Amino acid sequence: MKDVETRPSRYEWVIILAILFASLPLILGFSLLVLSSFSKEMVTNLDLKSFHFTLENWINVFQGKLATTGGIRTNILKVTFHTLVVALGVSGVVTFISALAGYSLSRIDFKGRKHMMILLLILHAFPGVALIVGVYLLYRLTFPQSPDLIRLYSFFYVILARAALEIPMSVWLMKGFFDTIPWEFEWSGIIDGASRIKVWWEIMLPLIKPGILAVALFAFLAGWQDIIYVRTFLIDQTLATFIEANIEAEYTHMPLVAAAGTLYLLPTIIFFLTAQQILLQGYSGGIKG
Amino acid sequence: MVKITLENITKKFGDFTALDNINLKIDDREFMALLGPSGSGKSTLLYTIAGIYKPTSGRIYFDDRDVTEIPPKDRNVGLVFQNWALYPHMKVFDNIAFPLELRKAPKQEIEKKVIEVAKMLHIENLLDRYPWQLSGGQQQRVAIARALVKEPDVLLLDEPLSNLDALLRIEVRAELKRLQKELGITAVYVTHDQAEALAMADRIAVIREGKILQVGTPDEVYYKPKYKFVGGFLGNPPMNFVEAEVENGYLRIYESRIPVPAQYRGLIEKLGIKEVLLGFRPHDAEVVKGISEGLVGEVYSFEPLGREQIVTVSVDKAFVKVFAPEGEHFTFGEKVTVKIREDRIVLFDKKTEKALEFLV
Repeated sequence: MKDVETRPSRYEWVIILAILFASLPLILGFSLLVLSSFSKEMVTNLDLKSFHFTLENWINVFQGKLATTGGIRTNILKVTFHTLVVALGVSGVVTFISALAGYSLSRIDFKGRKHMMILLLILHAFPGVALIVGVYLLYRLTFPQSPDLIRLYSFFYVILARAALEIPMSVWLMKGFFDTIPWEFEWSGIIDGASRIKVWWEIMLPLIKPGILAVALFAFLAGWQDIIYVRTFLIDQTLATFIEANIEAEYTHMPLVAAAGTLYLLPTIIFFLTAQQILLQGYSGGIKG
Repeated sequence: MVKITLENITKKFGDFTALDNINLKIDDREFMALLGPSGSGKSTLLYTIAGIYKPTSGRIYFDDRDVTEIPPKDRNVGLVFQNWALYPHMKVFDNIAFPLELRKAPKQEIEKKVIEVAKMLHIENLLDRYPWQLSGGQQQRVAIARALVKEPDVLLLDEPLSNLDALLRIEVRAELKRLQKELGITAVYVTHDQAEALAMADRIAVIREGKILQVGTPDEVYYKPKYKFVGGFLGNPPMNFVEAEVENGYLRIYESRIPVPAQYRGLIEKLGIKEVLLGFRPHDAEVVKGISEGLVGEVYSFEPLGREQIVTVSVDKAFVKVFAPEGEHFTFGEKVTVKIREDRIVLFDKKTEKALEFLV
């Protein structure tokens, strides 16, 4: 990392301390959740005496048991699979559309381009909840007659609806990445005999790999974490709705829900730890020429 | 191999006129340099020839074929960019092979041609590296190889040497010139470096503000500049200019007086011009100590360059630079006379800044 070396380094610890202090509530919250998932009872109020190590919660989660006693079972693997389908679906749709739209907004001088860019920003400002009545109406209007199709349709619909929320910002991000690539790369391809779409696929996309990865990851997490759209449209459960449904049930054993919650958080944590470097690289201006 | 004809090319970007009614003929196998300062439109002209830009009006011909509306890929041109635009995710081999792959050439033929062109540019041992593993000079060779592999009719070069360091640039330019002649390819070379243009080109087109000021061989543009701008843009140091008044067969420059050069006597009379700019090149004059016939002034500064030195002489309010042999010693403020080689003097009209012989 380069920096202009103007800041006296002896004050660095002050800044580090301030950052730690500011993130303390978050760190504490997550730590308690993870701890609880390995404990016989919930670890609360920073009282570590209530921590008694056990793997039971995790075993129960993967066996689909919701309570330590009783026979209610949900196939958690299936729920995880549903979550994965929604997340990957949203990620795929968002990445594909924003890679194409971002390219056009960055490179093609068509009529209404400026208005479109402003419109995208405005669209991004709308919260998903505000649109949900209209989106639900559309959902009902296109609802299939055949009962065999309903579950499939609900997946399809939730993926598209959730992707639509992510697309405006992703298109802007992608446009930014395409903007960083010198025109010469594109011209070179065109003179060598490539079509625009070929240039896009064979030259531009490889050059903005970090950008694509960033957009894909954010869209994946958005799909993974979403609760409102999933709750409204999806017939099956995902991790988010599973946790929500169980958190207030009478039979709930809270440490077990903590384990499910940790599972739910896992991709976010893993992605930000592993992809951090790539994301930073992406945001600081594309790939090294 | 084609000859290129540009007819009344005008290119506008919105309200801005980048190219203003350009007419230029580039002969088959000719090395033409487009020389001008940045923003002069020289690159725009190159990209118009390549087909990346379409002219707002005017026509472009390759031989007798009108290519104005033809897309770049069907013009069969090779283009080398200033930043080389090598695809970083492809190995050198794939970079060079890319144009052939787009043509769907058979695999063996691609391999044969890539190796052939790589050998020609002495990069055959770099084929399985990535561009970022190469030095600047090597990357540049790869860019040229990629432009040449499809055997283009025209080779277009957009300041290809400006990213190289000074020594390498001089080495490569000799090689590039030889390569162009060996291949017998029509080449258009954009540069802002007058030394490059003089060293490499068969002819130079000097461009400023979207207009071609002068087209000619390096000798013509160097010794017979059509405009003051051309004289001032070429040469290092560039041409000297001093204001002069015409006075019965003499040119008065402040306190000094020199006879009107023989080649201009008739012309000045015919045009009846009173105020001119006198131009001469630093090596077409000598500095003589003391006051005598010529431009009288004082030594303002002197810069030894090894083989010779540049002496700056202040002639009243004007400064002129003259080359002097190495051994001579000068002191600051010393009275000297600048004696100009009469037959190398160029006179410009003060108002239009056009050389007098081009006024008629």
